[in-house]
Amino acid sequence: MGKSKRYEYDYAQYENGKGSGTMIGDILADPDFNQVTDVTIGSWGSPWEDNCQAILDGIVDNQDKFAHVKQLFVGDMGYEDCEVSWITQGNYGRLWKALPGLKELTIKGSTDLSLGEVEHENLEALTIICGGLPVSVLEEIQKAKLPNLKKLVLYIGVEYYGFDGDEDTLRTFLEKSDFPKLTYLGIEDSEIQDQLTQVVLESKYIGQIHTLDLANGTLTDKGGALLLEKIPSCPNIKVLDIHYHYLSDNMAQQLKGLPIEVDVSEANEPEEYDGEMWMDAMLTE
Amino acid sequence: MSRLILLGNPETKRAVYLKKGAEKAGAEVEVLDWREFPHNFEEIYFQEEEIFLKIDPPLWNSCCLEELDRLVLKYEGNLDYLAASVRSKGITFLNHPQGIKELLDKRGCKRRLKKAGIPVTEELETESTSAILQRECEYPLTEQLLDTMERQKIFQVFIKPNHGSGAAGVMAFRYEPRKGQTALYTCAAEQTTTGSLVNTKRLRRFTDRRKVCSIVEGLLKTDCIVERWYAKAENKGFSYDLRAVVQDGKIDFMLARLSAGPITNLQLNNHPLRAEELGLSSAVKNQVEQVCRQAAACWPSLRSVGVDILLERRSLRPRVIEMNGQGDLIYQDIYGENKIYCRQAEMMKRWQQGEKQQTGRGGSTD
Repeated sequence: MGKSKRYEYDYAQYENGKGSGTMIGDILADPDFNQVTDVTIGSWGSPWEDNCQAILDGIVDNQDKFAHVKQLFVGDMGYEDCEVSWITQGNYGRLWKALPGLKELTIKGSTDLSLGEVEHENLEALTIICGGLPVSVLEEIQKAKLPNLKKLVLYIGVEYYGFDGDEDTLRTFLEKSDFPKLTYLGIEDSEIQDQLTQVVLESKYIGQIHTLDLANGTLTDKGGALLLEKIPSCPNIKVLDIHYHYLSDNMAQQLKGLPIEVDVSEANEPEEYDGEMWMDAMLTE
Repeated sequence: MSRLILLGNPETKRAVYLKKGAEKAGAEVEVLDWREFPHNFEEIYFQEEEIFLKIDPPLWNSCCLEELDRLVLKYEGNLDYLAASVRSKGITFLNHPQGIKELLDKRGCKRRLKKAGIPVTEELETESTSAILQRECEYPLTEQLLDTMERQKIFQVFIKPNHGSGAAGVMAFRYEPRKGQTALYTCAAEQTTTGSLVNTKRLRRFTDRRKVCSIVEGLLKTDCIVERWYAKAENKGFSYDLRAVVQDGKIDFMLARLSAGPITNLQLNNHPLRAEELGLSSAVKNQVEQVCRQAAACWPSLRSVGVDILLERRSLRPRVIEMNGQGDLIYQDIYGENKIYCRQAEMMKRWQQGEKQQTGRGGSTD
């Protein structure tokens, strides 16, 4: 069993000159590092100011020393450290070749994010957590060559923070992407969650996945009804994750009654403001 | 003859649970209602008996921040009156009104702590608001704050009314100079008709720069403090700070206030957790307890204080956020052991039994 370890800087360290440029040196200087297979990189000091390119480049430049790393999370930080939409990411284009043994990659933040040409024989899980996923990134994943990808989780987010597409963008993505081994599909955190639910239910992946994850969005009874209708005809689906939703109690109960594992926790209610009803996805910044 | 008096609000949990504590200790506490102050106090004052007095905060129903300022001023006047009254008659206070008043002033509290070498959440070195206003500067205060933040490379701050309590009017404010983005988390909202700030029970997030600056400007024009926003320690995905109740130099209760947003306050539906459940190392626990005791010792005239402490993320270095001379109401305690009020009742009882000269940092009698 490999070890997991988190590397990050606090404010005092940032003030003393630590930043994205020093992170890889500090990781490599850690005597535990050669045992660490699960690397989580939190705040690199001023993520709103400096992007993480130096960290990504540092991994590429020291690829032999990172060869044992199986899981990598870049940007694991909460609201105490940085607004998610202010985390400046980087270009992951060179990382794919540099870390052939990587199994899981998680990225938080989509500002200045580029995945480049994605080609990786062994990657099994890719997760992007953000308040708005740019179409450019979605297209990069669409063209990706990830023959062993089993789990894909994408936070769609909102237009204001970078999602410049719509349900048709997602339809095209699901049509054109090719992940033959995908068993977990997460299309989360959208303010058009009902429409995206329909698109996902009509996609080719619906016949191959065992987990359908439509959590953290504005799923209402409209999307709930689509799920109730479709899921019974998909015996491959064993888990439905729709936690954080706007379903009525009645609909939530009906979904809970499906003969699969269903997470309908975190019910939300629309808020009235200036005579209009508002619903927010979980992460919209 | 001697009497144990609580100047407070008879129907509140503070009064009810102190009385329960007193019952257990075999003492009788009379409650004087703030609404009848000062007449009820004067009636007792001119009698022969010796008095042990505990002062609870008055009840404030206003949600308007300007109104709260006025109420604080009135309350401070009452505390001055109580402090002055002991010059002609000996009264033993649980917490001396002068000390309570000093802790209402967040800036003054922090300066005294800092002078004593106790780590606090540092204030931003800004030109004082009043100095700027005196110059009738046209440049908005928010823009000046942004300049200061950029110059000092401090990109996230808390702005708090200097005399506020709880989360009333507190703003967590962030600035990203590269693109000029701002983000503001606050329970305060601008009243649509008057534009003045009102306190709500809901935490909101604003990012539109004009809106953010308008709300921040409203608070900066009042007597407020600007301090660094330290990333707080997290527990299971929630950030938290700690409220310790220190009485006669002992920590009688410590509670973690977990929150899914940057403003931790128990009235905001945040999730409380007993500090023991945080799984902190004994070194960190000792350090926190030491800081709490040292902070409390800076006000020897206060036998019971609430100390709010944050632990910096990663290093878990403790810093005092603020203190409260009336910060003894902890629901997790009253619905459990009621230890805090039982201990106060015991202090009162001991005084009544003749142990009027407390050892160490005893009760204050002028």
